[in-house]
Parts: sequence; structure tokens; C-alpha cells
Amino acid sequence: MQANLNRYSRQILFSEIGEEGQKKLRDSKVVLAGCGALGTVIANNLVRAGIGELKIIDRDFVELNNLQRQILFDEEDVKRNIPKAIAAVEKLKKINSQVKLEAVVADVNFTNVEAVVEGAKLLVDGTDNFEVRFLLNDACVKADIPWIYGSCVGSYGLTMNIIPGKTPCFRCLFETAPLPGMAPTCDTAGVINPIVNIIAAIETAEAIKYLTGKFEALNKDLITIDIWEGSFEKFNIADRRDKFDCPCCKQRKFEFLEAKQGSSITSLCGRNAVQITQKSIGRVDFQELAERLKKSGEVTFNKYLLKFSIDQYEISLFLDSRAIIKGTNDFSVARGLYAKYIGT
Amino acid sequence: MTTSIKIPAPLRKLTGNQAVVETEAETLIDLISDLDKKYPGIKERIYDGKEIRRFINVFVNGEDVRFKDGIKTKITKGSEVSIVPAIAGG
Ligand SMILES: [Zn+2]
Repeated sequence: MQANLNRYSRQILFSEIGEEGQKKLRDSKVVLAGCGALGTVIANNLVRAGIGELKIIDRDFVELNNLQRQILFDEEDVKRNIPKAIAAVEKLKKINSQVKLEAVVADVNFTNVEAVVEGAKLLVDGTDNFEVRFLLNDACVKADIPWIYGSCVGSYGLTMNIIPGKTPCFRCLFETAPLPGMAPTCDTAGVINPIVNIIAAIETAEAIKYLTGKFEALNKDLITIDIWEGSFEKFNIADRRDKFDCPCCKQRKFEFLEAKQGSSITSLCGRNAVQITQKSIGRVDFQELAERLKKSGEVTFNKYLLKFSIDQYEISLFLDSRAIIKGTNDFSVARGLYAKYIGT
Repeated sequence: MTTSIKIPAPLRKLTGNQAVVETEAETLIDLISDLDKKYPGIKERIYDGKEIRRFINVFVNGEDVRFKDGIKTKITKGSEVSIVPAIAGG
């Protein structure tokens, strides 16, 4: 065995992987979209398993209520106010220095999603909203990159593999997003960490199978799990691809990629918060802005993030001028605060 | 004739937390209407007036109703009806 593979000896002993499979893992580049509950577990597993390269993209920073389930973060990260992608990469480097890691602190939207997935052998889903999954689905189907969908809420979770050209895509199963208020969110239903771990574990297992070329072992069904009830079900969805005239994978109309207006304001799951993305402001000078804001409220900043508290609201501003406004779900209130204190 | 339908956790708010609901309906649309009588509002959640909403999948005995008879799909005694809503948390 090659010396640098010694650390994987127990995984190599597993006959389905072996030394050959381990080398295939080492030669793989994976993109992880979203580094929250599912994302941290997946990143931890894939980096320990020895994939070659992992790019992590996430728009958020670490908060205290994340620690219940987001395994790569700790109280120190909360105190330091650092972005999740950065905190995750710091931790992962200590776990496995052989893996090439890249952190991208950004929101995935129609302007950057194709660049985000470019060059990936596989994309794994750790995101938390429908819009981004439709975007990732469009981008992956268009570029012929497989991706693994996973999601959970409460004690319940779903997962399926999307192999373009071979299996149904995400839109074959869920043609539209639910109407606002029609799907449970972390706000209404919460989430417990065992369902996060089990969905992320399945996503990891599928990733390892795919990356080691064990295509016949891949899950072809839609899996649903309720960890509180102990139920595990698989639904055969193979027909979807043949019988449904999917706008994405059949007609190849990439409606989410092409939604030129995109959405620059979104409600954040579980947070009583709204995110505002600005398209063309450029990078923010925190020093200068902090000077201006300290007359109106409490302001702190570091390399990545500026936090400003005013009345019952808290504005977290990122270098790319994207802001998360906490204390409201009202888009107009959020827009008003942004305009008033950040500008534009 | 009674059939039991399992309500997935994300939809249970609509059934007063009932995990299993009994029905005597013989087709899927009757089943949905019957559910709505017991739990007003649930029909609106899973049915758009013409068909099952596009972010919900319904399987009868493991088969996708979209490729059977849609909302007219027959329900018989012992049928297993599964409702799988899209969820987005993560
Ligand atoms: Zn499709």
C-alpha cells in the first residue's frame, strides 16, 4: 500500500473500496453546497474518507443555535463571528491535511451557480431552501454533473441521487417549489440531530459509491426516513424519467438558470431573518462603514463580517455586500434597514 | 372497507398530529376529500383543484399515482397510501 494511503487502511480493507477505490477517491473533486447541519456532517465524512479536493460554498456565519447539530463548529467560532465555510475549512485541515480544501463565502444564485459546480466530479447538497436546489439541479443537469439531494426537518428526511441522463432529476420529482407557507421549515418544526446525521450519512455513502465507480450499488429510489418513528421507506421513481416531460432534463429548458432577475431577497429558514443580495456594489470597506454606523448603534467587525445592532434588528454584512437582517421576516422592513444603514 | 393512510410528519400539523388516518374512500380523490372533512385544509395542501400538487408525490402500494390513474387511482382494502412532500431544511 502507498504510504500516504495508510491512514485509510480500515476503509481499504472494506472489499468494495480496496486500494483502487481509495485512489479514485483521492482523485475526486467534490463540491459541497451549503455547510450547515447536513453539510458539516458530509464534509467531515468525505474529508476523513480521503477525497482529493473539496470546495465548500456557504453564505452564513456560525451562530450559537447551530451547535446543536452542525458538527464542525464550536463556541469559539461563534465568538469569532466567522463564516461557516471558513470555520469548516479550518477544522477540516486539522482532520486531514491531505485534502485540498477551498472555502467560498457566498450565496449560490443564478449568476454564480454554473461557476460553483464547474469542474466537480460530484456535487453534494447541504443547502436549506428550494430555490437553490432548483438552481443546482439546472446547473448540474446542464453540465452533466451528478448530485445528491438531501433534506430534513423535524425527525423526517428525504434523499435521492440525480445522475443526469440516467435517473430522474430533482424537477422530475418536485416540479415546482411549494407555495410560501406550504412547507414546514426549521421555524415551524425544528430539527433534531439524529435525522441530520442519518441523511448526511446516506448522502456520504452514495458519494463514496459514485466516486469509487460502484455505480451498480447506487440508490435509485427516493428514500424517506422518520427517525422518531423508526421508519425507512424507498419509493421506486425510475418511471419518472421516461414518462414525464421534464422541463429540465427532458426539454433542457433551464428556467432557474435563466431567471435573469434572480431573487435578491430571501427569507432564511429558522431564523426570523431575511437575506439581501446586491448584485454590483463590490467589496465593502468595513472600517469606513463602522465609523459611520457607530453613531447609530452597536457595531463590530472582523475580516469577514460586520455586525450592526439597531433597535430589535441585527444586520450582518459580508464583504460582497450581502446582508442578513435578523429580527424580521418582512422584506420591506429588511430592505428599508439595508437602504438606511448600508446604502444603495 | 377501511384503509389506513400514514401522514408524514411534515403534514401532521394539519391532522392534529395524527400519524395514521382511516378512510373508507375507494379512489384517491375521494380519500383526499374524506381527509379534508376530518381535517379541513389538508386537501388544499396536497391537491390544486385538478391534480396532486407538483411538489407532492403520492404512491399507492409503492406505485407513483401520476403514472396510474392520477387522482382517480383506486384504493382497495389494505392499500398502502404514502404521501411524500418536498422538504427543504438542511
Ligand atoms: Zn427531470
